[in-house]
Amino acid sequence: MEVEGGATLDDKAKRMRDLLSSFYSPDPSSASSQQPNTSSRFATLDTINTASFDADQYMNLLVQKSNMEGLLQKHVEMAAEIKNLDTDLQMLVYENYNKFISATDTIKRMKSNIVGMETNMERLLEKIMSVQSRSDGVNTSLFKKREHIEKLHRTRNLLRKVQFIYDLPARLEKCIKSEAYADAVRYYTGAMPIFKAYGDSSFQDCMRQSEEAVAIIINNLEGKVFSDAESIQARAEAVMLLKQLDFPVESVKVKLFEKLEQFLVDLNLDSKELTNSSVDVNGSPDTGRVPDAAPATAHEASVREFAEAVRAYKVIFLDSEPQLSKLAQDFVRKHFEATHQQIEKQHSADLTTILRVIWSDVLLLDEVLPEASLPDFALQSARVAVKDYISSAFSHFLLHISDAVMKVQGRQKEGIEEEYPLQAALEASQKAVLHGSMNIFLEFRRLLDENSELLLKLRDLTIDWVQEGFQDFFRKLDDYFCLLSGKSTVASQEVNLLERMPGDKIAAGLVLVLAQLSLFIEQSAIPRITEEIASSFSGGGVRGSEYGPAFVPAEICRIFRSAGEMFLHLYINMRTQKISVLLKKRFAAPNWIKHKEPREVHMFVDLLLQEFEEIRTEVKQILPQGILRKHRRTDSNGSTASSRSNPLRDDRLNRSNTQKARSQLLETHLAKLFKQKMEIFTKVEQTQESVVTTIVKLSLKSLQEFVRLQTFNRSGFQQIQLDIYFLKSTLKRIAEDEAAVDFLLDEVIVSTAERCLDPVPLEPPILDRLVQTKLAKTSEQSMPS
Amino acid sequence: MQGGSTGIGYGLKYQARCISDVKADTDHTSFLTGTLSLKEENEVHLLRLSSGGTELICEGLFSHPNEIWDLASCPFDQRIFSTVFSSGETYGAAVWQIPELYGQLSSPQLESVASLDGHTCKIRCVLWWPTGRHDKLVSVDEQNLFLWSLDTSKKTAQVQSQESAGMLHYLTGGAWDPHDSNSISLTCDSSVQLWDLRTMKKTNSIEHAHVRNVDYDMKKRYTLVTAEDESGIHIWDLRKLKFPVADLPGHPHWTWTVKCNPVYEGLILSAGTDSAVNLWLASSLGRNDSASDSLAAPPTRRIEPLLNSYNDYEDSVYGLAWSSREPWIFASLSYDGRVVVESIKPHLPRK
Repeated sequence: MEVEGGATLDDKAKRMRDLLSSFYSPDPSSASSQQPNTSSRFATLDTINTASFDADQYMNLLVQKSNMEGLLQKHVEMAAEIKNLDTDLQMLVYENYNKFISATDTIKRMKSNIVGMETNMERLLEKIMSVQSRSDGVNTSLFKKREHIEKLHRTRNLLRKVQFIYDLPARLEKCIKSEAYADAVRYYTGAMPIFKAYGDSSFQDCMRQSEEAVAIIINNLEGKVFSDAESIQARAEAVMLLKQLDFPVESVKVKLFEKLEQFLVDLNLDSKELTNSSVDVNGSPDTGRVPDAAPATAHEASVREFAEAVRAYKVIFLDSEPQLSKLAQDFVRKHFEATHQQIEKQHSADLTTILRVIWSDVLLLDEVLPEASLPDFALQSARVAVKDYISSAFSHFLLHISDAVMKVQGRQKEGIEEEYPLQAALEASQKAVLHGSMNIFLEFRRLLDENSELLLKLRDLTIDWVQEGFQDFFRKLDDYFCLLSGKSTVASQEVNLLERMPGDKIAAGLVLVLAQLSLFIEQSAIPRITEEIASSFSGGGVRGSEYGPAFVPAEICRIFRSAGEMFLHLYINMRTQKISVLLKKRFAAPNWIKHKEPREVHMFVDLLLQEFEEIRTEVKQILPQGILRKHRRTDSNGSTASSRSNPLRDDRLNRSNTQKARSQLLETHLAKLFKQKMEIFTKVEQTQESVVTTIVKLSLKSLQEFVRLQTFNRSGFQQIQLDIYFLKSTLKRIAEDEAAVDFLLDEVIVSTAERCLDPVPLEPPILDRLVQTKLAKTSEQSMPS
Repeated sequence: MQGGSTGIGYGLKYQARCISDVKADTDHTSFLTGTLSLKEENEVHLLRLSSGGTELICEGLFSHPNEIWDLASCPFDQRIFSTVFSSGETYGAAVWQIPELYGQLSSPQLESVASLDGHTCKIRCVLWWPTGRHDKLVSVDEQNLFLWSLDTSKKTAQVQSQESAGMLHYLTGGAWDPHDSNSISLTCDSSVQLWDLRTMKKTNSIEHAHVRNVDYDMKKRYTLVTAEDESGIHIWDLRKLKFPVADLPGHPHWTWTVKCNPVYEGLILSAGTDSAVNLWLASSLGRNDSASDSLAAPPTRRIEPLLNSYNDYEDSVYGLAWSSREPWIFASLSYDGRVVVESIKPHLPRK
């Protein structure tokens, strides 16, 4: 029962639900199609409100899950819900019906309202048609009159123009009188088209008159432009007006520009006068500061004037900057040209005053004409000027030194006898080096101390240049020395081919002076210069740090040290060469195998001693005295060694026979084995004794070598023996290293004996006697002279 | 003879001036040397470096009638050599042949091949063309230059031509260009003269005084090295005679002789009266022979040209000879008669 009732109830409900869902739900088909699937599976009590609700399932579920009481409760609940739903449904249907009825009413009312509208529309059309026809009528009636009025108006305008043109000359006159040129020009330019169109016919007179007037205006305007009295604005306006009048403005411009140029020329004359006057004054730079001021101010005034003129020109003529810039740069350039002439004269004071004047001029002009970038330009020019100045200073310096050094050569050529020519030359050149460099420092420091902006900007560069200049200068000096000494390097030979002096004409004394001068530069000049540079020329560093400072005293020192040594060696070489020639002649001339018995000491010994004496006087003038070393006495090795063969040799020489010669040679060898090796070729020092001794030693060694190339008979041997014996007594005075000299002299005798067919020495008494006579003779000769 | 030296020593009995490399001996490194003794009987020594290179062995000892002032080995026959000799006022030059040795060392007589007679003044030197077989021989005396045509098999020497260098030029020596068998350079008092042997005329001269010795570079044509008394060593390019290509300091006293290495370019030996032999490397200067190169390189970087100085001599060194078989070996002879053979291997430039 319950189940059946449930089924009928269910059917009814399902129909209702379908209807409702077909009305509200967007897709009823999908809802219904899902139904069978879901019903079996998702059976919960909550599905009651879903579309896939399955009543049987729900029922079963409900029965299964809840107890009796629960079921009853559910039943009551459900019945109430169903009742509620039914009333809701009824309300819904009712409301819908209501709405339908009101809609039908509205449609009915509309139908009745539309019926009278058409007739109203037709009446409106009629009325509009009549309004149109009326307005057409008004238009046609007014048309003729309006045309007439327009014509009259045009005529009036034309008449007014004609009136203006007839009035133009008079008006222009008036304008000229009142100097209202701007108005006049406006009028005239206004009338211009008419004149152009009708000027030949109707308005001939008028045109002529007005042109005359305009000509006057142009004249006046031109005058205005050229007159300096007028204000700049007025002049600029005048130019504008002239331009409007089609007047060739360019010619005016050119004329004005020429005027400016002329001005500049005058000004430059002034500036030259200024520098000249300042030079005159600075001839005595200590006193001449004050009078300097007067021309300077005059110069400044004229430059100011020029600047004003330039300013005016610039305002008057637009777009004239390039031209003016050029002009201004020209001005600066001319200034610097004048400066260059001054540079030649070597006064840093002059240079600084000139630069100061230039800089003030430039600043004045720069105010007026910033486009010309005059300061930069001036700075560049000043750079060049300062650089030139520095390099010319150094070249003067070099010239100065070379003059001092060359005096030696010159004096010798002229044959002027002086007591100590070399010493004088050395002192003079040393002084030249020191004073020259100090002067250069003085001059350059003046450059640096100058506060003018121009030089301040160049300060770092100047320092670098000065340092570089010194570096360069000393290199050049070294080259020059080399050239003087004839020992120039291969590279410079090519360049100085023409200047190179033939080797034999170079005075040995000069080379010695150079040697000592190099030493002096290395030891005193360079440290002082380094000090100076450190104190006042440090900084700089524009060159970039990777190059290091421009002036490298160590390098210069090294160059001059080696140069000094080289010159010393060269001097020794030159001297020994001369002696070698002497010796060569001595040994080439006689036939030693047929030599006659010795009667006196040969005169070549005199020549030799004379040569040594000459060297000694030269050396004494130039080189410092060495520390007197007494080692020859204390360190008696050498002297024992040199005397070692004396008894041996005497013994041997007494054996006239040659049978034991072999053993003699062996003895010599043995002696050599046991003696200390004599150091003949020691290092040369820059002292009198060292140089003289070296030359003596080298000469004696040469003597030995010459002897070895000859073959002697007994007399030849004796001659050599006598000569050497004499030398032995005299050379002691000259050479310091007595041991070595003795040794070498003995070697000469030994060598002669070896090269002698019959080595029988002279008896000592005879030797002594001959030497004494010779000594007496020489002292006799020297006494009267 | 004495210890303390790196070289191998050999002592001659008497003083001596000249030593020569036996170029034609391709199996051994040998040298010929002759003594200079006024009063004793002079000797010619044939020295051979032992195979280990540790000893100098006397291969032959021959007596020579006069003291020997110059000695030169024939470059194509190892048994032939020339000497210049004098005794008192007499002088002469001769070409000798070493007799066949049958093991005995006793001084056999030298066989004379030819006597270069005809000189009227003191003979300076006899020159062989250094490069190879050549039937000509040059002898130089103080004033004249002789060109001999030599036939070793027939043992004859004919004067082919003769020319005087002029009365005022005292000739002192010379060298034969290894690159050109027609050109020769002679040293005299004031210059180095370059002669052409075909015309027997002086073709050119280097006006440079006091040249004592001269040698051609074997490797590099037109390169001449001169040694001067006082002013060291100069290297010349024969195409540019105005100035030397390079100069080396030489010796403190006279630089007596220079010898260019026959194989290694730029290696120069010089011997001086300061009892020393110096080994120079001039290739860095000579090879680039452009002045610009030396300009570009700052002077600090210039390589020290002196490779080594051999000081262990008791007297002036006059004789010097490179071995042509082993070009890193040279023999030097000091006046006291001591031959020293040294190897320059430690100083060879790295190639």
